[in-house]
Amino acid sequence: MSGTLLLQSALAGLTNGFVYALIGLGIAVVFRGTRIINAMQGEFALVGGMAAYLVLDRLGLPLAAGALGGVIAGGAMGWLIELVLVRPTRRRGGGEESFLLLTLGIAFAISAGVLFVFGRDSRLLPGIGGEASQIFFDAAIRTHAIWLMAISSVVMLLLWLFYHRTHVGLSMMAASIDEEGAASIGIDVPRMRTLTFLLGGLVGGLAGVLVSPLITIHYEMGLLLTLKGFAAAILGGLTNPFGAVVGGVTLGLAESLAVLSVSSGYKDVIAMTILILIMIVLPNGMLGKRARRGG
Amino acid sequence: MKQAASGISAALPTAHAGNATVRRWLIAGAAIALWAAVPALASRSVVDMLVFSGLYTIAGLGVTFLLGQCGIVSLAQSVFYGIGAYSTAYCTTHYGWPAPVGLVLGMLVSAAIALAVGWPVLRLSGYFLALATLALAIIGHVLFTEWDWLTGGTLGIGGIPQLNLFGFVLNSPQRFYYLVWPIAALLLLLYRNLLHSRTGFAVRAMRDAPAAAAVLGVDTHLLKVKVFVLSALLGALAGSLFAHYVSFVSVDSFGVDRAINFLLLAVLGGATTIIGPVFGALFVTIMPRVLSQFGDIHAVLFAACLILAVIFLPEGFGGALRQLAQRVRAGTARS
Repeated sequence: MSGTLLLQSALAGLTNGFVYALIGLGIAVVFRGTRIINAMQGEFALVGGMAAYLVLDRLGLPLAAGALGGVIAGGAMGWLIELVLVRPTRRRGGGEESFLLLTLGIAFAISAGVLFVFGRDSRLLPGIGGEASQIFFDAAIRTHAIWLMAISSVVMLLLWLFYHRTHVGLSMMAASIDEEGAASIGIDVPRMRTLTFLLGGLVGGLAGVLVSPLITIHYEMGLLLTLKGFAAAILGGLTNPFGAVVGGVTLGLAESLAVLSVSSGYKDVIAMTILILIMIVLPNGMLGKRARRGG
Repeated sequence: MKQAASGISAALPTAHAGNATVRRWLIAGAAIALWAAVPALASRSVVDMLVFSGLYTIAGLGVTFLLGQCGIVSLAQSVFYGIGAYSTAYCTTHYGWPAPVGLVLGMLVSAAIALAVGWPVLRLSGYFLALATLALAIIGHVLFTEWDWLTGGTLGIGGIPQLNLFGFVLNSPQRFYYLVWPIAALLLLLYRNLLHSRTGFAVRAMRDAPAAAAVLGVDTHLLKVKVFVLSALLGALAGSLFAHYVSFVSVDSFGVDRAINFLLLAVLGGATTIIGPVFGALFVTIMPRVLSQFGDIHAVLFAACLILAVIFLPEGFGGALRQLAQRVRAGTARS
């Protein structure tokens, strides 16, 4: 195969990798704060992308306003779901699998709701820099994709600072690592959990806004995005904020190599096999040390 | 059949009152009479729905066993369901082999795959194991689609012959109803006996106190693999029966959504109860059809039912029934 083809597919893999990383980042945020695997992270992106589309298309506002609307919609969704649904489940003593099913059920509900209200149409948002592309050694990449990588990296850095340098971030981690200990030093544990979902929703909404110029917004997009994001987060180590990006890029590159060397049909087989192998061989992810438990 | 059904009702909590045994038999008899009368009374489409409930009970029992007794969330059941169905479809239409060959072959292949995959994967636990099984479901679905020389891909395989029991052709939902439910009842009875055996105690010890169980000489990893293989066998059996019933299989029937359905029915029914999968299977087959009369919004309503069930019935319908029975028993004891 030619070098250009290889480079082209590597760029495509890199772009996909950052898409998975953005979703994985949200899943990791929710997991860090609540120990819940959030199966509706892809739906946060769906809601964010849809809200951005509505702001742009129906209200005719500029791109920045649409992006802001999408992020806020995602955050509001996360906040509301925690208050109305996750909190009562916890109060009634739900276990690990009830939270998994709860978030799965909410994911179905959101997806079905979007189908009911907006129908089966796919929608595409305009990207940053429109349809323009950059050329590297004969291989093209959308300008928007470069922005997506840059913004994801900044978000990742901000999240790291948030968790290690701010009072709220540290309280959130404390609340999830040792609930009683955190409560006894005056941390409002339920509020930290609500804030965690708010943050997860914001990251999800941002993912939706950034992803939907590349992948069409569609009522069914959520579950597959969640799965790939989940894979990315676990590959890198769930509790390390850099893990999602490392995992996502690994996954994206592996997928595009598989497309190039085997066939596009087996893309998901390769990705999922890598996922299973990494979980067995490197139980803490590629970056994890004590990653499974603390943070 | 009578014995099997009474086994199920015996698994339910029973009153300690003096005439409890008589009442138990009466309830069991009434349940069997009701069960036997349904095909005569209900419309064809309702019976068809109940046949699917029976098939899902069998496949869902495997998921229930893993979840309720071992604490393993399995999303891979659709793969074994698919292997059973494709084995039957391929053997009967391609080679014209008799039905039992396809069925047994499907179960053997499922068991072999469950053993080979389960051995490494069951070293994982919790969410990670759940994700690994989900990954297996995705791999299975892609392979079912890509290996179209075997599975017919999206076009599927049609013309699978109907089951023929001693010259009696099971060519209607009513007739299949009388096959699938006795099989389900028999399996539930065997499940109940297994749970009360030494193995059952070992499984529960492993779930509740893994370290203690290991110290007492339970090979926990081997035990998990065994249960996983057993669960795969149930999935393959249900898949084979499904193929014979609908006479056409395509890759759409074995997607991730089917795997999620099997898990849902286990949780909704109550994974720790023996009768749970029956309730769960009835719910996931009946509820969507009841709700479909509300038009396009039915998918939202189904998801809402699911969310409410998870929040308000953490132990599923079976668990709620058990609590109700305990309350009734406490009431009778007081009076």
